[in-house]
Amino acid sequence: MKRAQFISSLVTTGLLSSSALVAGAQERKHPLRKWHIPPTLQKGDAIGITCPSGFAMPEDVAPAIQYLQNWGLQVVTGKTVGLKDHTFGGTDEERAADFQEMINRKDIKAILCARGGYGAVRIIDQLDFSPLKKYPKWIIGYSDITVFHSHLHAHAGMASLHAKMTEGFPTDPSLFEPVQLQALDTIRRALFGEPLQYSVPASTRNRLGEVEGILIGGNLKIIETLSATNSDIDTRNKIFFVEDVGEALYSIDRMFCNLKRSGKLSHLKALIVGSFSSIRPDDPQEPFGKTIYDIVWEQVKEFNYPVCFDFSVGHQKNNVALKCGVPHRLVVGEQASVLTQIQAG
Amino acid sequence: MITPPYLKKGDTIGIVCPSGYLPAKKTTICIQMLTSWGFRVKIGKTVGHQHHYFSGTDEERLADLQQMLDDNSIQAILCGRGGYGLSRLIDQLNFRQLKKYPKWIIGFSDITVLHAHLYQQVKMASLHAPMSAAFSKPDLSSVFTLKKALLGKKQIHTCAPHPFNRTGKVTGPLIGGNLSLIAHLIGSPSALHTKGAILFLEDIGEYVYNIDRMLIQMKRSGVFDKLGGLIIGGFTDCKDTEIPFGLTVAEVIRNQVQEYSFPVCFDFPVSHDTANVALKHGIPYELTISKRKVSLREA
Repeated sequence: MKRAQFISSLVTTGLLSSSALVAGAQERKHPLRKWHIPPTLQKGDAIGITCPSGFAMPEDVAPAIQYLQNWGLQVVTGKTVGLKDHTFGGTDEERAADFQEMINRKDIKAILCARGGYGAVRIIDQLDFSPLKKYPKWIIGYSDITVFHSHLHAHAGMASLHAKMTEGFPTDPSLFEPVQLQALDTIRRALFGEPLQYSVPASTRNRLGEVEGILIGGNLKIIETLSATNSDIDTRNKIFFVEDVGEALYSIDRMFCNLKRSGKLSHLKALIVGSFSSIRPDDPQEPFGKTIYDIVWEQVKEFNYPVCFDFSVGHQKNNVALKCGVPHRLVVGEQASVLTQIQAG
Repeated sequence: MITPPYLKKGDTIGIVCPSGYLPAKKTTICIQMLTSWGFRVKIGKTVGHQHHYFSGTDEERLADLQQMLDDNSIQAILCGRGGYGLSRLIDQLNFRQLKKYPKWIIGFSDITVLHAHLYQQVKMASLHAPMSAAFSKPDLSSVFTLKKALLGKKQIHTCAPHPFNRTGKVTGPLIGGNLSLIAHLIGSPSALHTKGAILFLEDIGEYVYNIDRMLIQMKRSGVFDKLGGLIIGGFTDCKDTEIPFGLTVAEVIRNQVQEYSFPVCFDFPVSHDTANVALKHGIPYELTISKRKVSLREA
């Protein structure tokens, strides 16, 4: 691929920072099944902010509101913003009602989940997603919000946006590193329908290859705990990405065993491994003895699909916006891995 | 369900470590006691062996356990300790010889993987019971229940009433073990089918919110839909988040199962703590929960 080689050369020559957004990615007509992809946003459209999981105070979401307004969006602040029921952003009833209202409203074109934490799975079965057929909209978030990505994929066949949430927006942009601002800007690009393409330097542990497929994934722990529920995802023929935070290596290994044993690794188009950050330290007497690369490799060595490590997704500064349920092209090359959204034709 | 033959004096118990590393000296008292009970003991190669976290490489642990499963001179296999590791081996084990010459497999915690797999895929009973560390504790009452179970004595376990108990009486196969592992197995070929069963659960060191999440997974995957009864054991050293979850473990469990009608009891003596009676996994039991007492007896 000429394009991939071109991008690779940019990365290797240092003209492009790692994982930086590549502007002007070529539009392609995609040969894959067309899923329900919400319309791109226009200036003046409304975006809701709600708390389906952990609580967020008004001051926590203020920078995001400012930013979204600067993008030309009108922000509808949900009733759960500012609510606090222990760790949750309100009671189950309050969180479900707020989210439902966001789903139901015709004028709201996207829903930004204020933050993750824990709680989405406690309300997911209470929500009626059928209005999304009439009023499709982007649901945005990651971590615990993987429950929504997975559920939407399993039920509605609806695309959604795996991306940073309100804490990722700066009060003072000058205090943010360029990589954080770039990652934030990928949300804007995704929402306004600009082409998305990401490049990360090659890991020596990668397995090379080029594939096209629908992109899905999210937080590994959430994906494991949705196993065999009605929010479980079918990973067959998908480009599947995983990330996690704060887990012990043995626990990550056990979760990869679950993925394997539940058939989720068997028929992938490709596997993308994001960051596994803040790994819980081992008992010094009994170090686990395997790295995240070893753990993944042991589970996927029997397959042939491309595997891309160190992708810019996860609980880290560089967590780019990924359109779940949308066809992508992944090139895992000698120099770089490049993920390109295939634009609907 | 295959019930392995009970043991008699002179029979041999193999000790093997399919999961975490166990220093050999930690088995001394266990071996002494098994010998004093009149059993011979055969020590597997993985006992005292270490490969990082594990008691050997996957190949070594697999080979040791497989050899014990296939050894017709052994009447029971005691897993030395839990930790983590069986999920890495379970699909590579061969149970053909075990089916021909059934034997009791003993352990808990990570050994839940083996119990569940034996129940679902081999249709064989096993023993959820203390492992080697328990033999060195001052209170040996739970360890003695293992002896009785191995010798085929029918047992009745009782516990005090708990304000959250839901009364009722049910007979069904007794299955379960460590909550984290029961949840982890969901979606895999070892996942427990709980229809009509009495399910027991215990755990250690888990966050309260994560217990909530695992119970929701069980609920959403249908584990509770046709369950006969639920036994909640100990939840040892459970942790809370910086901002408290706001519920105790018992409250979390009560809330998650309140929509069902099966009997439920709390604080049953199955746990990572001293109270951990031997339970015959896969064997029918009768669970009676009344206002005044709880009893679990082999049916």
